[in-house]
Amino acid sequence: MYLLRAIVRPEKSTVVMKALFDAGFPAITKLAVFGRGKQRGIKVGNVTYDELPKDLLMMVIPEKDKDFVIETIMLAARSGEKGQFGDGKIFVTPVEESYTISSGKLD
Amino acid sequence: MNFITNPDLSYSILGIKGQNKKIMKLILAMIRIDKMAATKLALSDVGLPSFTAMAVLGRGRGRGGVEKVKGENPELADLIQEMPRLKSKRMITLVVTDEKKELAVETLIKINQTGKSGDGKIFVIPTTDSIRVRTGESEDITLD
Repeated sequence: MYLLRAIVRPEKSTVVMKALFDAGFPAITKLAVFGRGKQRGIKVGNVTYDELPKDLLMMVIPEKDKDFVIETIMLAARSGEKGQFGDGKIFVTPVEESYTISSGKLD
Repeated sequence: MNFITNPDLSYSILGIKGQNKKIMKLILAMIRIDKMAATKLALSDVGLPSFTAMAVLGRGRGRGGVEKVKGENPELADLIQEMPRLKSKRMITLVVTDEKKELAVETLIKINQTGKSGDGKIFVIPTTDSIRVRTGESEDITLD
């Protein structure tokens, strides 16, 4: 199993979640975060905005679906054909165990 | 304290030293908001008082009663959203030593289980190090 943490534009999170739902991955957790990336934020004149609002989407998926889900997120989260700075990142972390609380069972 | 002039400490911070280092676990639990008070109490009772909680939105495999509503009121079927709504949850993150992993998971399940869908999930993720910012100490000593 893998934990995917995707940082996407807030206006794209609905699009990404719709794409994942249609692809058969309904389970997801979303939280609002602030951050900056390689471009060190956005510079307008003398002012630098380096706490840009983003949405962090978290989901745990089986190993065999990893590449497909990453591809789905990337296609949905990209702005325009080639993508733009600020479209976000996806981080992949191995997960050892996963429990469903309602049944108390190890998945 | 200067980490650069203290080779032992700087190694442990860079994570180079850890040949015999134990792996700790990060526990991620999504739970119901109204179980927070009980969870906090139970975790401190078993000796795991430190944790971080976040307000998150989420959905799982369940449809939040959509199928039931559709079955009872077929005329409302068109009004119901295709995608299930996101529900407010609390996400608890805690880092524990290997030995205390079972205890933490068991406690979280015992307190948060109602048997209905929407109780949440618990994920266990291996973590390599933990550092106390105040002193620069690392590894298991920071988790007591």
